[in-house]
Amino acid sequence: MTRAARADRASAGVLGQVGMLLVRNLREGTRNPVLAYGIPVVIPIAVLILVAKTLARVTDLPGFPTDNYAEWMTPPIVMLTGMTGVGYAATSLMIDIGSGFVDRLRLLDVKPASLLVSRVLFDVLRVLPAGIITLAVGAVLGTRVNEGARGILVLLALLALWAAAYGGLYFMVALGTRNAQAPIALAPLFLPLQFLSTQFAPEVLLPGWVKGASAWNPFTYMVDAARSLVTGPYSAELVAKAFAVGLVMLLVTQLSCRYLYSRAVGER
Amino acid sequence: MVTSETAAGPVPAIEVRDLTKRYRSSEVDALRGVSFTVDEGEIFALLGRNGAGKSTAVRILTTLLAPTAGSAAVVGMDVVQQAERVRRVIGTALQDAALDDLMTGHEHLVLAGRLAGLRRRRAAGRAQEVLEAFGLAAAADRIAGQYSGGMRRRLDVAMALVRRPRVLFLDEPTTGLDPQSRRALWALIRSLCDEGSTVFLTTQYLAEADELSNRVAIVHEGVIAAVGQPRELKDRWATTTLRVQVGGSEPGEMLRRGLADHPVSAGAEGWWVIGVPGGEPAIAAAVARLHAAGVAVERIAVDTPTLEDVFVGLTGTEIESGPASGDGAVTAVRKAMGLGTSR
Repeated sequence: MTRAARADRASAGVLGQVGMLLVRNLREGTRNPVLAYGIPVVIPIAVLILVAKTLARVTDLPGFPTDNYAEWMTPPIVMLTGMTGVGYAATSLMIDIGSGFVDRLRLLDVKPASLLVSRVLFDVLRVLPAGIITLAVGAVLGTRVNEGARGILVLLALLALWAAAYGGLYFMVALGTRNAQAPIALAPLFLPLQFLSTQFAPEVLLPGWVKGASAWNPFTYMVDAARSLVTGPYSAELVAKAFAVGLVMLLVTQLSCRYLYSRAVGER
Repeated sequence: MVTSETAAGPVPAIEVRDLTKRYRSSEVDALRGVSFTVDEGEIFALLGRNGAGKSTAVRILTTLLAPTAGSAAVVGMDVVQQAERVRRVIGTALQDAALDDLMTGHEHLVLAGRLAGLRRRRAAGRAQEVLEAFGLAAAADRIAGQYSGGMRRRLDVAMALVRRPRVLFLDEPTTGLDPQSRRALWALIRSLCDEGSTVFLTTQYLAEADELSNRVAIVHEGVIAAVGQPRELKDRWATTTLRVQVGGSEPGEMLRRGLADHPVSAGAEGWWVIGVPGGEPAIAAAVARLHAAGVAVERIAVDTPTLEDVFVGLTGTEIESGPASGDGAVTAVRKAMGLGTSR
């Protein structure tokens, strides 16, 4: 081999790296389709159908705002996909670190931000179809989106943000423990977050202590904003609060991940 | 060959000064004040046992790990201060093949090329070129998880070459390979060197260091015990042994008279064993002195030391045995003297 043709130019920039790694992640997902793309869709749809059908008469309770429980449950279940669909990317990242593939990428000048962002986006892109399908199933069960197409777009944007923010917890656990299996232990967290929120019933029907807990539960903000977009009435304040909570959570988790990543790959 | 030069002269491919590394989790220094230089176009081997500090050295030189103290530069660029620039001129294959089991061989190489800055079409072309050079073209579209150990190692080294590196780092490149694959990789490393690349490899195989490298550094417990050409190391740090069978009634006495300053001892089956300091160059002189002293030499054999002798002499420990080193060393003295030979 001659040295006549060395690299065309300096290494790809961060955006280029994110794009290349994201394509790699998505393609890799097609070789493990059940885990990568199947699970995020199956769980929320099963929950929506089961809950909407088995608890349909909950709406008979005095003070319940709607008479169709599926309509009440569809928005939070759409947001639930942001919790049940993430985690795969964190495990994949740890496998890459363990196999030395991350070192290979570092030697090719891949920045930590490129690696982390491409993994977070992978989770988001796995979750969005699940959210859309859940919404479609909800529509079949009688749910109408109060805010129309604009509402759907805002809902999906909020879902993307929530998936990225919540998924950050998985990355923190994975990188903090340096164990590819550790994120699995985080999976049941979505259960208390659901029950300690307004997902199943309006605030007026919740016990006092649950009300108190739900105010500190970030998922409550996602549920309330999603409902204002789908079930109505629309509240710009609720939507803004949800985006603010999601952004703060994203910032905190990703900054933590950046630090933990350096530790995990031996930079520190 | 591309040679870097400054006003002060040619820049070494690798320059390491007082390099020290202590891991946070350890109370022992993995490297302790290590210094050496590697010239451009050399094949340089770092030889040592497991845990001697070889991989730590590679990780520092390839910018993956920060040293605790000391400095290291690759083609004149500091591996800490100018890490990005260093990465652009090196290729690296670490100890374990760093592959994604769900990606094909072709996808690995295209991704490496694209991340290295090659445009899409060029990266694909380069990937094909490297796959063919490494005998992996037929398996290009199979995922790496289906590759054999040898194929994984070849793909890993191939990835290191996508960027056409000036300095290639190979951390135990042949560990776990069958003899055929090992020889093939050696041939490839030699050809890279012929084309001007510098190769820095670590190994625990004595034969690999001996046959492949221009110079060897022996590292033991984080310290460089010796650096030099394999022949130099043997001459300096181990003793060549001359074995002779001689006629006459008191052969031992005659030998001790002829070579008074050499240790002489009786061996098995009528052989006398003489230690000859100074290595092979001193053998002919020793034999000539025996003739001059009237010793009737009937048979002669020379056992040249191996790197293992050097390693044991320097470190007091044996290195793990590696692949067979081949024929061993029979010097030209036997032929030149026209005497019977035996080993």
